[in-house]
Amino acid sequence: MVFSLSMVSIESALPMLAAGGIGAPTLPDLGWFTNSIFVAIVVTTAILLFTRMATKRMEMVPGAKQNFVEYLIEFLYGQVEGIVGKHVAPKAFPLLATIFIFVLVSNWFGLIPGVGTIGFGEKTGPVSVDSSFTDADGLYTFVPLLRPSTADLNMTLALAAVFMCVWLYLSISELGLWGTIVHIFGPKGGVQGALKWGLMIVFIIVGIIEVVSIMFRPMSLSLRLLGNIYAGETLLHTMGGLGETLGFPGWLAKISSVIFPLPFYFMEILVGALQATVFSLLCAVYIKLSTTHDGEEHH
Amino acid sequence: MASILETFGLDWAKFLSQVIIVLIVYGILSKYAFGPVLAMLEVRRRRIAEGEANLETIKAEMGRAEEKVRDMLAKANADAERLIAEARESAETTRNQKTQEAVKEAQQILEKAREASRLEHESAMNELKRDFGRLVIDATSKVTGKVLDEKDQKRINDEAVGQVAL
Repeated sequence: MVFSLSMVSIESALPMLAAGGIGAPTLPDLGWFTNSIFVAIVVTTAILLFTRMATKRMEMVPGAKQNFVEYLIEFLYGQVEGIVGKHVAPKAFPLLATIFIFVLVSNWFGLIPGVGTIGFGEKTGPVSVDSSFTDADGLYTFVPLLRPSTADLNMTLALAAVFMCVWLYLSISELGLWGTIVHIFGPKGGVQGALKWGLMIVFIIVGIIEVVSIMFRPMSLSLRLLGNIYAGETLLHTMGGLGETLGFPGWLAKISSVIFPLPFYFMEILVGALQATVFSLLCAVYIKLSTTHDGEEHH
Repeated sequence: MASILETFGLDWAKFLSQVIIVLIVYGILSKYAFGPVLAMLEVRRRRIAEGEANLETIKAEMGRAEEKVRDMLAKANADAERLIAEARESAETTRNQKTQEAVKEAQQILEKAREASRLEHESAMNELKRDFGRLVIDATSKVTGKVLDEKDQKRINDEAVGQVAL
């Protein structure tokens, strides 16, 4: 086994971008129907079928599936209730639990062998796992058949957008329209009297900053999830092809394509769960911040 | 901003389709998973609470029943002791009465026996005296060789019986 690292150029050591680049490619002749939308539909169907099977004939003494779903929902409800409070929890829980379950399953679905690796391309033929071909502009021509839906900005932004709509509804339903405006721009910290009016300009500026931060929430939520999942996918691709990139002999490159990504698979399982938790946890915190009455904050 | 989003692959048609997918998952999960499961959990929680309440009621009732049983046992014990005491007293009385009766009866039997013995003794003595008198008469008749008349027989008999001091 003789090979030299000096043979490896910097260019060839660059990561192989997963799923043919960060933009979700459209499947041929299907318009808006992308590989990530297809995966999202598969994930949705899987979640719905499983929950339907588990909850179709609910019994007082639950079976294994019902027990699992009950455990998960009870656990999530407890967490949500702990953050947003008993009053808002029943309204906020369905969305937060949906986000958590959907993101978690989508993230883990991306780790199934073949997702992001089996596809087709201009130079690769109808079905291939070779994603290294690029066009004249240096863009990857490989189109994977399946792509994790959370590695697509359209999905992560869709999740954030739906959340923001529900967040706005919950905020206004809890505090009222005027109450929400006062909550954002009004005096904070229980300031009273002349000081309140003296600091009003400061509170208004703080309110404007708050509005800007709220407007950026969908982007921060969606890009954080996208970045983590896409980076994880890219990492696995890069580690999978590392042996070949480093100029290993064929048989060793094949073995290394299994061994190198293996630790990162475990890490990605953890990242998948962590990102689902972070996304839903931040959503819960945003709901908590905007639905808490000013009087409650001081208690 | 638009170019950044384009670089990241944002496309409004794709975005809307993803929004629709998220809304479908949200709606269906809310209707078919969270709703029924939370309702079931609430039913189970209520049933457990009812079970606990029933358990408390049963415990209280059991306590009352135990107390009642204790009272009944105490009363039964007192009754039993009273009955035993009464029985013992009655037995003692009966025993004394029976003993007295037995003693009295025994004395009567002894008296009768003594009387019977005395009468039998007297009868035996009389018989013996008669036999003795007859033997003396027979002996006298044989020794003297003469036939004794009724007068002699009576005299000899009286003399013989008079000499026998039984």
